[in-house]
Amino acid sequence: MKQALSNPLARWGFAIIATVLLLALLAPLIAPYDPDAIDVKAILLAPSSSHWMGTDGLGRDVFSRMLFGARISLLVGFVAVGIATAIGIVLGALAGFYRGWVDTVIMRLVDVMLTIPTFFLILAVIAFLTPSIWNIMIVIGLTSWMGVTRLVRAEFLSLREREFVMASQILGARDGRLIFRHLLPNSLTPVIVSTVLGVASAVLVESGLSFLGLGVQPPNASWGNILTDGKEYIEFAWWLSLFPGMAILLTVLGYNLLGEGLRDALDPRSNK
Amino acid sequence: MTRYLLRRLFWMVPLLVGISLISFLIMHLAPGDITTTEAGFNPKASQESRQKLRQLYHLDEPLIVQYGLWLKRMATLDFGTSFASHQRPVFLERKDDKGNVSKGMIQEALPITLLINVLSLVLIIAVALPLGVISALNPNKPPDRTITVFVFIGFAVPGFWLALMMMYWLGVAHDWLPISGLHSLGYEHLTWPARWWDTARHLAIPVFISALGGLAGISLFVRNGMLDVLHQDYITTARAKGLPENTVVYRHALRNALLPLITILGLSIPGLIGGSVIAESLFAIPGMGKLFYDAVLMRDFPVIMGILTIGAALTLIGNLLADLAYAWADPRVRRGVGG
Repeated sequence: MKQALSNPLARWGFAIIATVLLLALLAPLIAPYDPDAIDVKAILLAPSSSHWMGTDGLGRDVFSRMLFGARISLLVGFVAVGIATAIGIVLGALAGFYRGWVDTVIMRLVDVMLTIPTFFLILAVIAFLTPSIWNIMIVIGLTSWMGVTRLVRAEFLSLREREFVMASQILGARDGRLIFRHLLPNSLTPVIVSTVLGVASAVLVESGLSFLGLGVQPPNASWGNILTDGKEYIEFAWWLSLFPGMAILLTVLGYNLLGEGLRDALDPRSNK
Repeated sequence: MTRYLLRRLFWMVPLLVGISLISFLIMHLAPGDITTTEAGFNPKASQESRQKLRQLYHLDEPLIVQYGLWLKRMATLDFGTSFASHQRPVFLERKDDKGNVSKGMIQEALPITLLINVLSLVLIIAVALPLGVISALNPNKPPDRTITVFVFIGFAVPGFWLALMMMYWLGVAHDWLPISGLHSLGYEHLTWPARWWDTARHLAIPVFISALGGLAGISLFVRNGMLDVLHQDYITTARAKGLPENTVVYRHALRNALLPLITILGLSIPGLIGGSVIAESLFAIPGMGKLFYDAVLMRDFPVIMGILTIGAALTLIGNLLADLAYAWADPRVRRGVGG
């Protein structure tokens, strides 16, 4: 981590992420208004000292909604990536450790999942379920584990041939011990990078879904569905579109910068 | 080459089976069965459509029979008729008893999406290639840094948001470009060149939006690929022979750096197809993405399942073409030698 933060890109990324995270955590303390409070006397007000980011079509304070929306967008991102990483580690470890038909089955499954356009898959699943925050998290998680699986499998395949693993195996270590003590801890480095980058893409997918009205449902605020309102009023209320878009851009940029910085720092070949 | 093609085709069989299984699984995702899902946005239609769904997917039969029938549907490319759009056939046109032909929904939408995707790929290659090469030839100097900043922004900017902004600036505020549909009113009365120009103006923003992610990704990819290749021994040899720098860069380095690009472009197809949902629904372009989005909103299950399957099939075809192109470009692959 220390090494990673010596990279200027990663430092910027980290600063952005920390700021957004802090704002999201402290949302109830910072938000000047109740994010869901409708005020018919304050509809579509431009940004001013009393409403920093203006108000929306129902007179709700956009700044407060942005803060609470940050919580939802980040929560969806974290949980979805958590699910994807967990599935990826388990399947990747199984494939890389047992090889043979287990490996074949899991890798064919990865190929199949990569063949179906992900956004179609997500939308199709949502069509059969009710769109809710939990369903969105699960669906994004279930459709984005393939990269992690490949990474963990590749690490396992190469680590299995290493002396320390063979030594431990000859000394009679069981599969479980080999996997959890020797292989897994040594194969997590690339997973960290892909997890950080995964949050970025999960935030993008969630906001896209919410923008289409198939993600986080109103009255819950998410950056994506604030933008949906922005689309309605784009001709006379630019602030409804500008701020959520910038928030998504900055957040995704932050995670991408940190991810790339970590990759550079953790990849021994790039330490020129 | 024929043997390679056959081997490659053979590999598609397990993938097709997998796709059929996953789509079958999705059909059975909803609690109970899909016909009892309460997610329907259209409660009035739900009772009737439940009955239709039961018939269409034979939900009263045992699971194994249902799967067999689904496989048959996939194999014969018959995805039934739409629930929402007057019983139109989902994929291919069909004649009814009176000899009236009704056009298939995917059949009409597919060429539009393919056109947008092909144009996006052309745009990606035309812009990302030079950017990547410029970056690689000036590593960590101002041109490279500027391009890298654009790459990171390109990765991070939400496409639908940029689309919205461009729609506003170019369409609403300045009226430079049309922002809805594929053609203007009175398109039928235009001359051929005017028609082309009209369609091109309608497609300009959507094509740019769907190319955006690829632009960033491919420039980065070309840059890193070129940097790798430029450090190879044969490049040093080429320089040592006294070849002009341009020959070294373009004939020796770029050609080899481009090889993996073929695969990457093939892999980017599902993303392009999936990404069409947002651009097409925002700009009201009647392609696969908009068709799919409308079907999801109306819970038009035959259309959803049809597009899901056709989308996967398109990816398979795209990957196949990419592999064949790779084999054509790299003799080591088609002869099955290591390397």
